Amino acid sequence: MMINQLALLKREVWEHRSIYVTPLAVASIVTLGTLAMLMFAGGFAKELDVAIFGATNIAGDAERRVALTGFFVGTSWVFLLAAMVLTIFYTLDCLYAERKDKSILFWRSLPITDAEAVVSKLATAIVVIPLVTVVAIIATHIVNLVVTSIWVIAKGADAGHLIWGSVPLLDNWLAALIVTLASAIWMSPFVGWFLFVSAFTKRSPLLMAFMPLVLIPLLELIFLRSTVFAEAVFTRRGMIPLFRGMDMEGFFDEESLHVNEEIVSLLAHLDVVQFLTSPSMWAGLVVCALFVTAAIYVRRYRDES
Amino acid sequence: MTSLVSARGVSKHFGAVRAVDDVSFDIEEGKILGLIGPNGAGKTTLLKALLGLTDCQGDLSVLGLDPFRQRKELLKNICFIADVAVLPRWIRVTQLLDFVESVHPNFSRKRAEGFLGQTNVRSDAKVRELSKGMVTQLHLSIIMAIDAKLLVLDEPTLGLDILFRKEFYSNLLNDYFDEERTILITTHQVEEIENLLTDIMFINEGKILLDSPMESLADTYVELMTSGDDATAARGLGPIAEHEMFGKSVFLFEGVSRENLQGLGELRTPPVADLFVAKVKGARK
Repeated sequence: MMINQLALLKREVWEHRSIYVTPLAVASIVTLGTLAMLMFAGGFAKELDVAIFGATNIAGDAERRVALTGFFVGTSWVFLLAAMVLTIFYTLDCLYAERKDKSILFWRSLPITDAEAVVSKLATAIVVIPLVTVVAIIATHIVNLVVTSIWVIAKGADAGHLIWGSVPLLDNWLAALIVTLASAIWMSPFVGWFLFVSAFTKRSPLLMAFMPLVLIPLLELIFLRSTVFAEAVFTRRGMIPLFRGMDMEGFFDEESLHVNEEIVSLLAHLDVVQFLTSPSMWAGLVVCALFVTAAIYVRRYRDES
Repeated sequence: MTSLVSARGVSKHFGAVRAVDDVSFDIEEGKILGLIGPNGAGKTTLLKALLGLTDCQGDLSVLGLDPFRQRKELLKNICFIADVAVLPRWIRVTQLLDFVESVHPNFSRKRAEGFLGQTNVRSDAKVRELSKGMVTQLHLSIIMAIDAKLLVLDEPTLGLDILFRKEFYSNLLNDYFDEERTILITTHQVEEIENLLTDIMFINEGKILLDSPMESLADTYVELMTSGDDATAARGLGPIAEHEMFGKSVFLFEGVSRENLQGLGELRTPPVADLFVAKVKGARK
């Protein structure tokens, strides 16, 4: 069972190269962006380089931490957004493509159950893609800090203190891991729905997946004059019960540049217990499980010839 | 002889259509059984039921297992090639071997690589870069490297040229088949395989028309070629089919002894294709 799952997960990565190509592309763009910023900023006088984390004229260590963490959070959101788009396309494709090219007949000729096959696709969406994303975030973070350090050293400043001494590395990385995994779990009902669509639709999974998400709220509004479905579906992303107190966007506020050091910790803003005990989170997992079961059922019982 | 497959009253209905209609048969170990039927006869549905890919009514046991409910266990000891086009086009040959090796307990990578070494299939190639014939060679190399008790081939050589088809069957016979293995083949090109079959089964409109060892076909069926008064006499003996060839009448008899027909004309054991046509037409009357 375990060996099968590993082989199946490997198979998914072979087939869907976008699982690692997408984060690599984002990492390249972010790094190129940093390089461009450094080169652009290099043209200014040293005292104007406030945008640069290593600049000596940033007020103090806490503010430098905020600036570096802000950079980290900003780039991490780009990775998360890319992972979200990737997950939508992956889940809509994975059970559809194998039927379209009839390779499902080959996969089903091997001693693997339909449940194992579908679960491997679910695990790819909510474990593998998030983990690859976190690794890409951390790698990008390191590469960008190295690049910035070289710039700071070239300016004749102390990169060890200004850059590495100021970044709460572990705090940031652990937070990235938690936020990414929690987001995947929080959005799992959508993953389940997309897998189900991918398993049953005869054509255009993208259209089939999103049409009900548009039509149902419309019909609800016309006939029931309510917006329950639309609220449950479209606002779910922003309602993740993981953050407490200050919103993530607070990091970009002018004010937060002057708050005390504790607030710079990303972990301090995450409430894992609140997330794990949230009925909404568990309800989402149940919805996901129902859709995945339906997808397994369709793959097993439908005659493909 | 052990019975590998045992079917009793097996049916599969799609709405009002009876794809497989109350069939019963056994397949014994060490046989090469040809399952012959026209398009839509129910061949593929029957194979799918045997492979646990579709549910059916009746009692069906394959290797002592219920194929639909114990499919994973069953597929450790059964291999099948459903059609030449089913290998995923994106996969590399080495990835395919890696994958099958890690999920199939009875797969020998060494054997597969040995078979592949005799072909032009490069191990770093992707399936989409291979010709149709090479894809079949690749698939067959994998299948033959699996130590399975039953091999099911559904139109395995469809769309291949004659050279590949001949090679396919000679590889199968020389490198794979032995008395412990059993092969079940469906095909339209019955002439090509009739020499390698030990048993034959005809299926039409979901029903089995014939289920017989090849060697006893000669005892039951005889073809008579004759003309004139002898033809009239032959007609009186109740042939199951009659057709004209080179100005002569050709009769096919079932269960009429050769002694009774001796002297009426030329006798021979009918080719499977003729027997098949006669049986299907006879069933339609």
